[in-house]
Amino acid sequence: MTSRSMSRDEILALIPELSDAALDALTDAGIVQPVLEEGAPRFRDIDAARVQLALELEDAFQLDADALALVLSLIDQLHGLKGEMRAVLGALAAEPPETRARLRGVIRQTRVLRIRRR
Amino acid sequence: MADDPYAALGVSRTATDAEIKKAYRKIARTDHPDLTDDPAAHERFKAASAAYDLLRDPEQRARFDRGEIDAQGQERPQRRYYRDFSESPDNPYRGQADFGDFSDVFADLFGEGGRGGFRAGARPGAGGRSFDMRGQDYRYTLEVDFLTAARGGTTRITLPEGQVLDVNIPAGTRDGQTIRLRGKGGPGMGEAPPGDALLTLSVREDPDWRPEGDDVTTVLPISLDEAVLGGRVEVQTIDGPVMLTIPRGASSGQKLRLRGRGLQGAGGKRGDQHVELRVVMPPKVDDELARFIETWRKDHAYDPRATRRRGGR
Repeated sequence: MTSRSMSRDEILALIPELSDAALDALTDAGIVQPVLEEGAPRFRDIDAARVQLALELEDAFQLDADALALVLSLIDQLHGLKGEMRAVLGALAAEPPETRARLRGVIRQTRVLRIRRR
Repeated sequence: MADDPYAALGVSRTATDAEIKKAYRKIARTDHPDLTDDPAAHERFKAASAAYDLLRDPEQRARFDRGEIDAQGQERPQRRYYRDFSESPDNPYRGQADFGDFSDVFADLFGEGGRGGFRAGARPGAGGRSFDMRGQDYRYTLEVDFLTAARGGTTRITLPEGQVLDVNIPAGTRDGQTIRLRGKGGPGMGEAPPGDALLTLSVREDPDWRPEGDDVTTVLPISLDEAVLGGRVEVQTIDGPVMLTIPRGASSGQKLRLRGRGLQGAGGKRGDQHVELRVVMPPKVDDELARFIETWRKDHAYDPRATRRRGGR
């Protein structure tokens, strides 16, 4: 029932591939931003998942810190937009067919037709 | 995962370490669940990373090749991908989305206060429209400590616009519960009323209080003499300290129940508090104590493991 947060030692234990130095580097680069509580960093679940993804991206693409920050920022934007898109689609799905038909018309005009003309 | 880690990576059994790494990287690039939506790709990635974990370690690989271990042995515990968190509106790593001319529409639909607790700069949706519309709801996350959530109380917060509010946290509040503050959201347009502020409470874990349903468990350290002779000891409850009677001959791990001292349940009835005793030795076992125990042992030796030994090996 409570939201989890981990100490530095706990996140190191949770992610075996994560070394002390790598965690420092990710934190210094601002790629992971633990919440400070009474001066000690606490890592949330989202931080742990982000660290793991960062390690995999680093390994798969051989990225340096700047490139990694860029890729993660793009992923944040994309995932955020996906979440919002899902919410919009969910709201649309609940609308009556006439409303959807009207919106479909507007969307096609602004987006689909323009692409086709090129 | 697949039975054959080599097949999962699409390499031959004689592949070099470099080839294995290359194959894994290729699959990670195309099939990582945080980079693609395709469920089939997720399965491929899962199989490939399990296979890679096995084959990257020369010793494990050799043992697998000799048939000493199977591929399953390497499967990782269920993992949560970043997308499980990053799609949610309160992802603290995501900045504000800017939709240019449509920013107002976006803010109108999603609210701008939904991110990052009180750091978010929620602005009222720009006006200029000639119709009445209820103000938007602002969403915030508010972190409270365990005892405040359990006891209830008032917390002072400052909204992004600078408004200071005293929020009443009801007793027995659980993690994820939302408190609605009527009329504290964005201003309405025209004649319409303002929106609401919605505070989602996040209850911080407290090592001293372990909740389970409506019950809570706490650990109470007791001294050697209290364990042997029994006695009355002060113990913390959600409502403050109470005196608890320790029975004569208490053991570590023994639990005493304080009825009705747990969390406020849904029906208004409170759960119980379980006090787990932990016998703590004196900081130093002095000669007097050692001598006494030695004498005592001669006639009173007992075996606390007697029942266990009979059951097991």
